[in-house]
Amino acid sequence: MPVLELRGITKSFPGVKANQDISLTLEKGEIHALLGENGAGKTTLMNILYGLYRPDEGEILINDQKVDIEGPNDAIARGIGMVHQHFMLVPVMTVTENVMLGNETTKSGVFLDREKVSQRIREISNQYGLEVDPEAYIKDLPVGIQQRVEIIKVLYRQADILILDEPTAVLTPQEVDGLFKIIHSLIDAGKSLIFITHKLKEVLHIADRITVLRLGKVVGSAIPGEVDEQKLAEMMVGREVNLVVNKKIAEPGAAVLEVKDLYVPDERGNPSVNGLNLDVRAGEVVGVAGVQGNGQTELVYALTGLLPIKSGSIHLSGRDIHKCTPRQIIEQGVAHVPEDRQKHGLVLSFPLLDNMVLCTYYKPPFAKGVNMQEKPIAENGTGLVKQFDVRTPSIFVAASTLSGGNQQKVIVAREFSRPIKLLIASQPTRGLDVGSIEYIHGRIIEKRDEGTAVLVVSSELDEIIALSDRIAVMYRGRIVDILPAGATKEHLGLLMAGVKPEDIPDSAKQKSAGPVEKVF
Amino acid sequence: MKKLYSVLAVLLIATMILTACGTPAATEAPAAVTEAPAATEAPAATEAPVVTEAPVVIKVGQVTDLGGIDDKSFNATAYAGVEKAAADLGIEGKYLESQQQSDYAKNIQQFLDEDTDLIVTVGFLLGVDTATAAKANPDAHFAIVDYAYPDCWPGAVVGTDCGSDVALDNVLGLTFQTDEAAFLAGYAAAAMTKTGKVATFGGMELPTVTIFMTGFQAGVEYYNAQKGTTVEVLPFTYTGNFESTDDGRAFAESFVQEGADIIMPVAGPVGLGSAAYCKESGSCMIVGVDTDWTISAAEYSDVVLTSVLKNMNVAVYNAIQTVVDGAFKGGVYTGTLSDGGVGIAAVNGASAELVAELEQLKADIISGAVKVSE
Amino acid sequence: MTDKTVKTTPSEKKDNKFDLRQIFEGSYNTLLPLLAIFTGLVIGAIVIAGTDATVIEAWKNFFQAPGAAFAAAWTSIATAYGALFGGSLGNPKEILAGIQAYFSTGDSAALLKSIYPISESLVTATPYIFAGLAVAVGFRCGLFNIGAEGQFFMGALGSVFVGYSLKGLPAIIHLPLALLGGIAAGALWGAIPGYLKAKFGAHEVVNTIMMNWIGFRLSDWLLNGPMKAPGYRPVTSAVSEAAELPRFFPDPLRLNWGFILALLVAWLIYWLLFKTTIGFEIRTVGANPDAAKYAGVNIVRNFVLAMVISGGLAGLSGASQVLGVDHWVGQGFSAGYGFDAIAIALLGKSHPLGVVLAALLFGVLRGGATRMQSMAGIPVDIISIIQGLVIIFVAAPGIIRWLYRIHPAKNKQALQSRG
Repeated sequence: MPVLELRGITKSFPGVKANQDISLTLEKGEIHALLGENGAGKTTLMNILYGLYRPDEGEILINDQKVDIEGPNDAIARGIGMVHQHFMLVPVMTVTENVMLGNETTKSGVFLDREKVSQRIREISNQYGLEVDPEAYIKDLPVGIQQRVEIIKVLYRQADILILDEPTAVLTPQEVDGLFKIIHSLIDAGKSLIFITHKLKEVLHIADRITVLRLGKVVGSAIPGEVDEQKLAEMMVGREVNLVVNKKIAEPGAAVLEVKDLYVPDERGNPSVNGLNLDVRAGEVVGVAGVQGNGQTELVYALTGLLPIKSGSIHLSGRDIHKCTPRQIIEQGVAHVPEDRQKHGLVLSFPLLDNMVLCTYYKPPFAKGVNMQEKPIAENGTGLVKQFDVRTPSIFVAASTLSGGNQQKVIVAREFSRPIKLLIASQPTRGLDVGSIEYIHGRIIEKRDEGTAVLVVSSELDEIIALSDRIAVMYRGRIVDILPAGATKEHLGLLMAGVKPEDIPDSAKQKSAGPVEKVF
Repeated sequence: MKKLYSVLAVLLIATMILTACGTPAATEAPAAVTEAPAATEAPAATEAPVVTEAPVVIKVGQVTDLGGIDDKSFNATAYAGVEKAAADLGIEGKYLESQQQSDYAKNIQQFLDEDTDLIVTVGFLLGVDTATAAKANPDAHFAIVDYAYPDCWPGAVVGTDCGSDVALDNVLGLTFQTDEAAFLAGYAAAAMTKTGKVATFGGMELPTVTIFMTGFQAGVEYYNAQKGTTVEVLPFTYTGNFESTDDGRAFAESFVQEGADIIMPVAGPVGLGSAAYCKESGSCMIVGVDTDWTISAAEYSDVVLTSVLKNMNVAVYNAIQTVVDGAFKGGVYTGTLSDGGVGIAAVNGASAELVAELEQLKADIISGAVKVSE
Repeated sequence: MTDKTVKTTPSEKKDNKFDLRQIFEGSYNTLLPLLAIFTGLVIGAIVIAGTDATVIEAWKNFFQAPGAAFAAAWTSIATAYGALFGGSLGNPKEILAGIQAYFSTGDSAALLKSIYPISESLVTATPYIFAGLAVAVGFRCGLFNIGAEGQFFMGALGSVFVGYSLKGLPAIIHLPLALLGGIAAGALWGAIPGYLKAKFGAHEVVNTIMMNWIGFRLSDWLLNGPMKAPGYRPVTSAVSEAAELPRFFPDPLRLNWGFILALLVAWLIYWLLFKTTIGFEIRTVGANPDAAKYAGVNIVRNFVLAMVISGGLAGLSGASQVLGVDHWVGQGFSAGYGFDAIAIALLGKSHPLGVVLAALLFGVLRGGATRMQSMAGIPVDIISIIQGLVIIFVAAPGIIRWLYRIHPAKNKQALQSRG
């Protein structure tokens, strides 16, 4: 008997069928992976299950009982718990306070009974191997531990069915291993799990069963062992995909970017880049690997003039640029694919053609004096849409109407289309589907082959490995080691976790056989 | 279904608006409904001198200044005269509120368009527009409160800087010798003070304001001369506005600290703040102005010593009376003690002796035996 | 809010004069403001009927005479709105008769009388256009200029000062100087909060409100002191005739060149915002300051620039009012043009054409209010209620969507559902 069954779920939004006739079952003690690209309808489906949306058609059964889930509280009451991709924690509160938030246990009806809750948290911790200090403040905890708190929150509310939405997106490889251990102990305790992801390798590693969604429909299901990554990727995308980035050996030229002893405080004034040294030469890709929050963002902001530095130097082709404005840096031939495309990369309310000239609107041929020249701007937009395969009904629609992948292509088109000598790409494929990733990776390598110096910052280790000619590992604001292409994930993972280069065991450095693997 | 209703509603209202704006006369035609403006609107072609020929209802329109019709001050007092005339004389009274400077001319024009028989404008801010309209419409009749023509100074441009450099025979200026009444109030205050100090302050240093204050002071000095006392009037000050009750409170408080126990605020609603302070602290009495504050600000009546009455309602009523009688004449009306245009209300707690003295003093002022000012 | 819609694809003919798509793009975009206005008028009608003693009396006897109850309500509303629109647009029959009379006899008196209401509506709309543009430019740069009222006052004082203090200049010099005086004073009043925001990060809402108060008190002082005309009234002298914006018709029609100027300036602002790099930067900063910074746009400079333009426009609004209509400044010069301007900018979606249309609407409502008050005895305050309702509906389009069952644009939902 399945603990959970969805029958024929259909949900439409105006113009979009987000879910069409989706059916799936979850057995007790099972890990059921839901695999699909962005926009495939995974999150919509889970939001229906969690009571955030009502399905247009179809029914939900829990333990063979037809239910009508009226909202998150109702879902929780029925034993469904959700761990969101973006954590819902209050940073200035303790673990205990966060866990009891919304479900406060009180003494004499008024006073919070923290002691009782802490006790319960300890019990849960011990039972499932979720080590966490109930008195610690969330803001002091690393991401991996914060995720544990989210899981504890769900367990505290006595969930039997757990939904994990892209749980590995923010974790180091070691943290991923830790998470998988926790998942197994949950299963051992009789819980059932839905695991949402777009990463093929993880799915094969952990799932008992896989259901693949594409464009709102179930396109197939599989059992690990009977399928491989290639097969799953093709199911997801609907066509054959090339999972490996083909590239020639790099032929690096002169150093384009040289960073020495760089110190950068973040926007709140806390030190985040601490004495960083790095250089990138023409015609090579240097990848910066690291767990998020180790100063990568601030490094990129400093290089592009968005954040002032405290000390050190940044040289671009021999010229010191650390006092330059963003515009001066752009004009010296630096392109920047920003980490947050909706925040920095695009003006969402502007039409595509304006976004395509966001950094060059004031220059001929796009402007004569203060007069903007509509024809060249439109031609530029039309040309780039074609050249970079941006899927859009027109260049006049607002950037907000495009999917994430196409938005990213707009940025890439804009940044790659002007003469540049340094490309800084931060999280260039975050949240994109396999097809778009393939495309953008190809373009980056193309730029490298044209002789551009490329700096790629990514929290996706596989992406770093696939693209880089050299890999710089960043930890607490410094580059702790630079490894050649082909370094092992284990080696990188240990460095990312803060293990000193000299303490890395040789076993971790062993190069795995075969071509560089790429996991989505 | 809901959509259908919406569409129906749209159509319904659309027709309404269209018909309404297309032919206003038509909707006003079934004039039985109210005041039947259409009746006079429609035959507007006969733009003859209205007052003399047509035996229709006399129409009076008041254009307020910025204070609005319920300012509890001169707009309201003047309109009280219009309302009394409506009740007693059977005229039709209306008002238009001005919200900003450019409304003055517009509101006057609206009444002109309606062939209003007497247009009452209130306050010096309407001085220019009233004169301009009066000159352009010599058949129309105007009365302006607290203002009179000629009002120009050497070098002023007529029609913009000032209203008229000659007297206008279709405008009646309604002015008030408020110093006569304030003189009596000053005398009463001097008689009633326990601390030997009294005070007065104004909203702005305008003639219509300072005339109260100088009259009050003269009354105090006359009392001193008569009785050999040394009651002191604290130096004049001004709040700079006619709105802030907080200022009224603060001014009263500081006067009390300087030893005054009777205060005359000449600043419209500002004075209510002073009255509130007196009532709360119990340390002072108020001399009201314009109207009898025991009625218009009844909640403070126990701290109102007396009020200097500026009977604009009477003046407006009298002006309307002349229009009804067909005897309207332009020029300047000056309200005095003798014709009841100004006066004072009963003095709270006055001895019979003081009452008698005030009666005598009033008679002396009227007869000219006592001069209020030089 | 679409920002830029007039763009020709290379294949299209290059013809980008004024394109109505700018404002009417997508029925969805224009439908909401129109429905908001409509709903405001409907609720206004209910208020009118509901506060009319005759109507209330009739409804008390609803069960005896339901027809009479409805008839009374109808009459009340029709009288009020009849007077409102008759007072703002005039009576078409009279206008036609006036035209006929003019062409047959050459006597313009009837014609002038018949177009007086329209003239007044346009006179009222004129300062609204300028002030609405002022707030709209601020909005486009992401700034909420609540200080338009104070800038309006300063602009009026600046232009009246230039207008009366200079003597003997020809109009061709004196009028532009007086207008510039207004622009400069308003721009200064806008620049101060702009600079404070740019330099110290002080929020413009707080600062523009403070500047309003400083402006009001300063004008009180000026009117009672340095700028007081001879005589005792706390008003300024009138401007020289050479500084007046010429009127088109004889008194009492007050329609003047200020209205034409307003339309020209609206076009200028349209051009500035949508056709120049200056406007592109302002709009980029307004739409996404992070992206603007990323693209190398100097945000601080644009904040100051937008506030200067905004203040200048509000100042010009005051100047147009004083030079075209009032000719002198006294207390109560403005009944809140600068505050109504916020509503106009919202209703006009911060687009110059939308602002002009919204200002015309407000001009019509305000212009007809006098007649409505006089003819139907409805206080002018009902206009403020209608305006307020319209703004609520524009600001909270969800109400209108719910009321009329309009579905939101599809792409927005699509975004929400993505993932």
